[in-house]
Amino acid sequence: MSLLNTVESAEPKKIAVYVCHCGGNISDIIDVKKVAQTLSQYPQVSIATEYAFMCSSNGQDMVINDITNQGVNRVVIAACSPALHETTFRNALKRAGLNIYLYEHVNIREQASWVHKQDKDGATHKAIALIKAGVEKIIRQDALDEIKIIANQRVAIVGGGIAGMRAALSCARAGLKVSLFEKRSTLGGNLNRESLIYPTNQTAQSVVDQLGSEVKNNPNIDLLLNAKIVSVNGFAGSFQINFIDLDSKEQTIGSGVIILATGFDHYKPYEGEYAYKTSPFIVTLPDFTKILDQSAQPKALLYEGKTIKNIAFIHCVGSRQMDGVDTPLEGKNLNEYCSRVCCTSAIFTINNLKIKYPNTGIFDIYSDMRTYGLEHESLYEKASKNDVLFIRRPLEERPQIEQRPDGTFNVTSTDVLSWNEQIEANVDMVVLVTGMVPSDISDLVDNMKLPRSTDGFLQEVHLKLRPVELANKGIYIAGTSQGPMDVIETLNAANTAGVKAVSLLSLPEILMDPFIAVVDDDKCTGCGLCISECSYDGALTMTDKIVNGKTKKVAQVNGALCVGCGACVAVCQPRAIQVAGWTLDQFEAMVDAIAKE
Amino acid sequence: MTKDSRPKILVITTSHSSYPGANAVGQARLAYDSNTYIIRVPDPVMFPEEFYIKALTNGIAGIIIMSSGSDCPYEGAYPRLAARIQSTYTKMKALNMNINRLKITTICTVCTESFLKEIANMEKVVAA
Ligand SMILES: Cc1cc2nc3c(=O)[nH]c(=O)nc-3n(C[C@H](O)[C@H](O)[C@H](O)COP(=O)(O)OP(=O)(O)OC[C@H]3O[C@@H](n4cnc5c(N)ncnc54)[C@H](O)[C@@H]3O)c2cc1C
Ligand code: SF4
Ligand code: SF4
Ligand code: SF4
Repeated sequence: MSLLNTVESAEPKKIAVYVCHCGGNISDIIDVKKVAQTLSQYPQVSIATEYAFMCSSNGQDMVINDITNQGVNRVVIAACSPALHETTFRNALKRAGLNIYLYEHVNIREQASWVHKQDKDGATHKAIALIKAGVEKIIRQDALDEIKIIANQRVAIVGGGIAGMRAALSCARAGLKVSLFEKRSTLGGNLNRESLIYPTNQTAQSVVDQLGSEVKNNPNIDLLLNAKIVSVNGFAGSFQINFIDLDSKEQTIGSGVIILATGFDHYKPYEGEYAYKTSPFIVTLPDFTKILDQSAQPKALLYEGKTIKNIAFIHCVGSRQMDGVDTPLEGKNLNEYCSRVCCTSAIFTINNLKIKYPNTGIFDIYSDMRTYGLEHESLYEKASKNDVLFIRRPLEERPQIEQRPDGTFNVTSTDVLSWNEQIEANVDMVVLVTGMVPSDISDLVDNMKLPRSTDGFLQEVHLKLRPVELANKGIYIAGTSQGPMDVIETLNAANTAGVKAVSLLSLPEILMDPFIAVVDDDKCTGCGLCISECSYDGALTMTDKIVNGKTKKVAQVNGALCVGCGACVAVCQPRAIQVAGWTLDQFEAMVDAIAKE
Repeated sequence: MTKDSRPKILVITTSHSSYPGANAVGQARLAYDSNTYIIRVPDPVMFPEEFYIKALTNGIAGIIIMSSGSDCPYEGAYPRLAARIQSTYTKMKALNMNINRLKITTICTVCTESFLKEIANMEKVVAA
């Protein structure tokens, strides 16, 4: 019995196996001739051959030729990782007129020849077992149709910081309509400030104003300020965003794609953390930037009536926290990640301070100097030349801050750079170099079932293979909603999200891999066990259906909402529900083939 | 070819996380024993208890599930998987099976050292 969205073929299964040499990468270790010869004896395998480079046009032509002229209707290619060439071979099948899902890719390079160099026989044996498992899988594979969804040609973008604006412009310029939702009354997010930013030395506000005016003048962009998103329903191609507008009216807008550009919040230390809030002269870096911007005093920084002659900057406050050393904020995890921008931002601010008030004495207490990125190291060099005294503390040690009766502070720290000497600095002000925390979007996370990393930022599926994509189809992330980034990185990520949105909506219909749950109505007993396993609202429901002339209760999958996680599969005793292309029967047959070899 | 007499280890990886992690081990040209067989799934949460017990009864000596842990992109999948492995352990105990033959762990796309450590640990279990 075929799964519902599959196309079962009446033709006998004719399987071809191709073993790639990868120009010696595989064949120097694995005896590819022996592998092909062994596979040619395997039941239902009609052709088993080896070739120097399967991904070359000759290699692909060989597959196409065997499909067209030899009647091959199932293909197994044993080569490098599917991450590299799965699409190449799917396209070859398409050109030959065969359903692209009737091909199985077996990895015998990264997971065999490259890791078993000292054991050629073992690697050859393993390759044979893995390919046999691939054959067993493809024997049980039916043709699948890509899922087609009529797509609303509008993109909804949540967050009007630079990431949201940049993504909006990328989409709008490609001709898509955009609804840009910003909860505040202004655009720009955390860059809505007058201070200078690295590396361009322009004011943050000027970046915001430039993007803002392009956004406001683009006829494809509907700007919705003071908008509060209440809920999001639907699926890729057809989302509904319910929100409360400027006039407190509830509204709904439809979109085909959603981009989340909800940004970050500055870390706020708790009272007493590095003496924060025990004195007005213990400030965070964002506060200090404002103080510096606003100070009009000619010779030295004047703050709260006090001339500031010496300042200590302490890095990594609220970032790179360690178990047993730091206390997390109430109800939160430790922030173990590096906020990435704060080292450069602190050094950049120090250099600006030195330009305005060259005589200020600076102690910069850091653990690792992460001024990564184009020309950022030169900011560090400049600070070194500016007589900034750098103190490198061990990561697990926290500098001690003690207020003296005269209102100044003694800051004590071990200095790794001078063979662990204890350094004591007497300063008028302490700047806590605070980093980024995810902005509070827990309502959206709960409502939309958004995946978050342990750090609390939104979690893309894969850093290299599927950047800025969430596991939820049709939802992308832009900028610092994903993790700490500077302006350039934010704009790049936002452009990527914009391009992905444009490419998904480039056709009136969205094509999706059909690896979603499917129910065999005949086998379904209507027990409903699968429903409680599914975390995706509306993906799986019970319904009455006429099956074999009788009305019965069966599970029903909404293909646009199901993500294909398979949680439902495990609890279904009669195996009525399966993830198409990844069925339990396929996996059991694969494991049997491996065990037997 | 004659049957490989060494105990076999099945490594269940996730398409988005530990499978690329296993590739990273290869890209770094690190080595482990060839009695290890990696398969990839969208998420191991799809396997019922019986899947593991059947595999361990039919010739697989040890299974390592390399999940994405709390970084799993599928909502609610990890706690469900963890609970399912616990109930598999209960069933294995009832069948007098050594529960160390089934291990659940978290491996990401770059965890090459942890990957090797898990395999080395399972090699010890299946050799015993
Ligand atoms: C101390 C410090 C100094 C920095 N200095 C520099 C520098 O000099 N140079 C540099 O390149 N980078 C710097 N950065 C980094 C820079 O601030 C970020 O790269 C940039 O602000 C990220 O933009 P964003 O759009 O991702 O996020 P944000 O600026 O945080 O914007 C997010 C927007 O989304 C909105 N929003 C959030 N939730 C919702 C919701 N539910 N509905 C509607 N709207 C919502 C917010 O109101 C906000 O407007 C610095 C960062 C820090 C912490
Ligand atoms: S960028 Fe620098 S200050 Fe910020 S968390 Fe990383 S190491 Fe610490
Ligand atoms: S668990 Fe299986 S049999 Fe029960 S309702 Fe779901 S699909 Fe049908
Ligand atoms: S595969 Fe996952 S998302 Fe789809 S119906 Fe099953 S449990 Fe729900």
